[in-house]
Amino acid sequence: MGSPARRIDTLQTVELAEGMEIHLRTAGPFLRFMAFLLDCLVKLIAFGILNLLVVIFMPLLGGNVTEAFRLLSGFVIWWFYDVLFEVSPWGATIGKRVLGLRVVDEAGGGIRLGPSMIRNFIRLMEVFLPFVPLIIFFNPRFQRLGDLAAGTLVVYSRPRIDPVIPGPPPLEKVPVNITLSREEEAAILSFRYRSGGWSEARRMELANHLAKLTGEVGPKGVSRVMGMAHWLEEQR
Amino acid sequence: MNRQEFENKNAQEWQKFELQLSTSESGKKSLDGEKLPSRFRKICYDLSLAQYRMFGHRVCDQLNGLAIRGYRQIHRKRGAFGEGALRFALRTFPQAFRREWKLFAVVSMVFWLPFFAMWWSADQEIEWVQALLGADGMASIEGMYGKDADSVEFLRQEHGSNFMMFAHYINNNVGIDFRLFAGGIFFGIGTLFFLIYNGLYFGAVVGYVGYAGEPELLWRFVAGHSSFELLGMLVVGMAGLKMGFALLAPGQLSRGDALTRAGRDGLPLLIGGACMTALAAVVEGFWSAEPFPTNVKYTVGIAFWVLHALYFIFVGRGLRAA
Repeated sequence: MGSPARRIDTLQTVELAEGMEIHLRTAGPFLRFMAFLLDCLVKLIAFGILNLLVVIFMPLLGGNVTEAFRLLSGFVIWWFYDVLFEVSPWGATIGKRVLGLRVVDEAGGGIRLGPSMIRNFIRLMEVFLPFVPLIIFFNPRFQRLGDLAAGTLVVYSRPRIDPVIPGPPPLEKVPVNITLSREEEAAILSFRYRSGGWSEARRMELANHLAKLTGEVGPKGVSRVMGMAHWLEEQR
Repeated sequence: MNRQEFENKNAQEWQKFELQLSTSESGKKSLDGEKLPSRFRKICYDLSLAQYRMFGHRVCDQLNGLAIRGYRQIHRKRGAFGEGALRFALRTFPQAFRREWKLFAVVSMVFWLPFFAMWWSADQEIEWVQALLGADGMASIEGMYGKDADSVEFLRQEHGSNFMMFAHYINNNVGIDFRLFAGGIFFGIGTLFFLIYNGLYFGAVVGYVGYAGEPELLWRFVAGHSSFELLGMLVVGMAGLKMGFALLAPGQLSRGDALTRAGRDGLPLLIGGACMTALAAVVEGFWSAEPFPTNVKYTVGIAFWVLHALYFIFVGRGLRAA
């Protein structure tokens, strides 16, 4: 697996053993903090239910046995709530699931017991010194210390499909008479397929950046760029 | 071939793959399961092609999503649980221990030096021990191992108390192990702190029982589970310190990469050590307080120590690293 490019982007490029590249969308600190708060709430409720059950079963099973079950269940909730949910097919705790997040390894696959234990146990230490989790802001993949030690990422569980809102169909094909790099070609093409969602002023603003290439500004520039996109696409 | 042709040609195949993924993700058995890998390869190929020819982000995003889901299904990491556990116990864990023997030397020093220092200080000047244990600690030790205490064996005759103590030891001791490990993230300081503190505390208990109580009561209680518990704690400490050292001296790697590697290499130690501590809780809960003759208890305790030494030195030696 190649190491991901060091750039500031919400997309992380990962090369898989199959020889292809996929893009993972890593989740930012805000959503992850919200998921953390939700999970705290869930754990709190779980402990509440546990104590209720203890009160109910105390007369039936006797003090010692009930206490033993309370201790064992408390141990499982405290240390393994996150772990058990993360290794399940969900790949996420309840909080993360609600917010559409998922924990994956660095290749985007589900995580196993060991790495999940590492990342969750270390979190209990990280919240101990509240400035430590802030290193998440300095990591291009939004990894906290536990994620680094476990080699995991938190990503959006569903890939986002951008809506395609093409602008009005171009009237003419405008040949491009210089050689464009692949990224530049892609930019022109996606201008066509996204411009339907923008105001006329925004389209002109963007097309004016290409004034040198199109030789026009304003509405005429826009239709030139659309024509170029049309030409580029037909060429293939 | 332009984007439109590309999509028209392949859309049906993609749809089939997506349908199959949904079936497979929901855990059902699909009829054409054997076709999943070849369809996945096709998706990989299409994605690469679409990215290279820049067929626009809509096609690429769609294929990217399918590829991620397909990867998750194909590379599901599930093996038979029993086989995995056996391989871990007979190969991975002892091999990892031997690989990190230097760390074992370090954690042993860090634990045993304070232990013996505290024990020794009880003979010279008991105030250090008294200061560390506090009034409550001393009272509870005298209650268990004092000259005229009801022995632990006697206290444990109440219904369910063995089970209760087992649960208590799991909750308390395995929890300490996990904190010990996680404390390594602060450049190893957390791990060192817990190790030294436990060394001092255990040393103080032994010293105080020698001073004010009946040492034989203590030794016959702890003999059985001591090897599991102490070695388990030290092994987990190794995993914690490994992270600490990786952060302090990452060598050629970046600190992040060094930490990832230390986490991966230390993982068998964390899991193995925690399992040992859980076994200690079983022994401590159901054997240590049973009323058997002192000699039997000592013999069993020594046998466990010898078995541990044999296990860590010899098991899995010469086998290919798992």
